[in-house]
Amino acid sequence: MSSCKHLGKVIDYRLHRLTDEQEKEFETHLESCAFCQRELAIELAIEEELSVESEPGFIESKIIARWRLRREQGVRSFWLYAYRVSALGITAAVVILVLLPFLLRFPLKSFFEMGQLTSALERMLDGLPAVNPIFVTVGFGYILLIGSSIFTLVRMRR
Amino acid sequence: MESKIDDIGRLIESAKNGDEQAMTKLITIHKGLVFTIILRMTNDYHASEDMTQDTFIKVFMNLKKVKSGEHFRPWLCTIARNVVRDYFRRSKGHATVSFDQIEEFQGQSDDLIRKRAVIQDSMAKLAERDRMLLTLNYYQGFTMREIAETMKMTESNVKVCLHRARKRLRKQLEGYENELV
Repeated sequence: MSSCKHLGKVIDYRLHRLTDEQEKEFETHLESCAFCQRELAIELAIEEELSVESEPGFIESKIIARWRLRREQGVRSFWLYAYRVSALGITAAVVILVLLPFLLRFPLKSFFEMGQLTSALERMLDGLPAVNPIFVTVGFGYILLIGSSIFTLVRMRR
Repeated sequence: MESKIDDIGRLIESAKNGDEQAMTKLITIHKGLVFTIILRMTNDYHASEDMTQDTFIKVFMNLKKVKSGEHFRPWLCTIARNVVRDYFRRSKGHATVSFDQIEEFQGQSDDLIRKRAVIQDSMAKLAERDRMLLTLNYYQGFTMREIAETMKMTESNVKVCLHRARKRLRKQLEGYENELV
């Protein structure tokens, strides 16, 4: 006989997957079976190695120092974000408050006509549908605001 | 055991408020666990030390998510596992180093070094999930519930997978039996 039919039970035995009765039976068998004894010795060697805890050395101070840095960066990023959002909000408000009355007084088409634009541009504008200057201005403000927020969030994530 | 969990819970609460002493204690208690998991997964001593640091920094940056001390260890292990996965993704494969470079083996007898190298080399050939399961199972004091929570599996599924992982490891060790016994 070059092997034992109970060899497969060694892993179950070590993982406590056998019933009490099966466990007792196997332990009795184990006493007289050299193959199973050897297999058990191999399993115990694996367990012994895998239960060894490795120590990384003294890393506590390094972690705390790196954590402090990350926290400071996080605070800086927050204030940078808040600064950018408020700056762009003010810009958008100024755009709306200053330009809006001006554009309302001079609809978009007449606004361009006031300047020295060429007749080609005038013809192009004639072909365009009427544009509500309120929507243009408010839309522009919001695009600025949302764009800056996305930009800042992406930067913060990096 | 419960008083230990309570202590961990108290340390977590203090660490949430920025108490660096509590953080240091949490690191001291758990660094061996995190480092062992990462080392078993990567076989790279120096990278494991860096990844252990990364894990704890991620832990402290997200500590507010921990509700109680009971769930801290599984959560910590999940973060360590994710850090290792990111590392593999970046390096596009399994990083292994020759075992004579591993500082951990210094000062040990040749037979023991050979035995440890054979087992660790066989572990390195297993799938990531098998390595994680085996590491957690043989790490002292890890319960089936904690393993299941870390691995996001049911306890019965953990037992089945663990049995299969153990068989696969044994298969990898075929031919090296004399080195082990």
